[in-house]
Amino acid sequence: MIRRSHTAVVERDVLWTGPFASEPYEAAWASEAVFFVRTLEPGTLGPGAAARVQLSPDGMLWTDEGTTIPLRAEPGVTFGRVSHFGGWLRLAGELRPSDALKVIVYLVLKE
Amino acid sequence: MTPRGAPSSTTVWLDPALSRFTPLSRILFFDDFDRGLNGWTALVGNYERSLGSMLPEYRDLRPPMLSNISMWDTGTVGGLDGTYALKLATRPKAGSMAVALKRLTWRYAGPLRLEVIFTYKPEAVALELLETQVRAFGFAFDLQVGDRASGPVERVMPHLRYVNALEGRRMEKWQFKRAVEPMRDIGDSGRTRSHFHLAPTGWEDVPDGAQRLCYNEIATKHNWYYVRIGFDLGSMSFTEFRCNDRVFDASGIAPMRFPAVPNAWCMINPLMWVEADAATRAFLYVDSVILSAEVDS
Repeated sequence: MIRRSHTAVVERDVLWTGPFASEPYEAAWASEAVFFVRTLEPGTLGPGAAARVQLSPDGMLWTDEGTTIPLRAEPGVTFGRVSHFGGWLRLAGELRPSDALKVIVYLVLKE
Repeated sequence: MTPRGAPSSTTVWLDPALSRFTPLSRILFFDDFDRGLNGWTALVGNYERSLGSMLPEYRDLRPPMLSNISMWDTGTVGGLDGTYALKLATRPKAGSMAVALKRLTWRYAGPLRLEVIFTYKPEAVALELLETQVRAFGFAFDLQVGDRASGPVERVMPHLRYVNALEGRRMEKWQFKRAVEPMRDIGDSGRTRSHFHLAPTGWEDVPDGAQRLCYNEIATKHNWYYVRIGFDLGSMSFTEFRCNDRVFDASGIAPMRFPAVPNAWCMINPLMWVEADAATRAFLYVDSVILSAEVDS
């Protein structure tokens, strides 16, 4: 049996500024995942700006998984890989109030 | 004698999953979400050159996912059978919507029947009933005649929704929509247009369409429902509408109709959606869905 896979666009054309979190996405069927963060247009970021992968038992309470994904101010893409993540995944982080980044977030899941 | 509503073929009974349904003679698809999303995907608005050119209502329609329906207090609910259901989840914001659709084309302008086993709930964010947090969920088709149609050259959109609550008040009734939202130009090429057919305006009550469903007693208890929608591609009219034990008068409901668009001949796109009524995520879960048709050969 070929392995099932799915790419979800969990955020599209969204402007991140200050604290941000992607909408929860259920992934209990998958055993591996890659979050891609695509910067759509030039933005502003402080040094070390990143998104943290988070896990949740119920889609409501979140805790850091440990993986961080660097963000880039210029158009392009960065990613982070995770596995053994249970039922829910999201990205969270905090930009400086003066910073802003317009992104698409892809969650690529595979059995 | 065949009991009323029994499957049309004894073959169907050989498959317990199919035996829940009453399909017409040809099954166009039978999607059990234990097998994946089966081609149900997110709805995006039309755009030109920039995503920002999209109509605002289309910019943040949330995508489908596969859920095992796990609750904070009791753990996994699972599907009606198997483990997974298709899930639509809004943002925690009144008016936020999540939409899933599947795109195919038709080969015979005859009867269609859509049957869905579904349930709906708000996110269990508080130890309260939360029964008015979900505004509405619905089922629709986006259809167009063939390019050699002998009758009106139309795009037709049958829409039905269950309005559970509106601004915190229980509504608990089915509505249909025949009012056509204004078509707006997108970009500057003159080739792209868009209209937001799921807009909150123009909905009319299904005759005798009030129906109280089985919300159950707390937000983490789920009961599955059955809905059936019949639509004839020949006459482009509803032929039947049923939810659980209630059979509604299909002659009292009508679709949106408007001139055909240049690139959608023989289109048949079934849609499902859910809308939040409060700052709580609204969820629609679908265990399985079947689209069947009468065909010429």
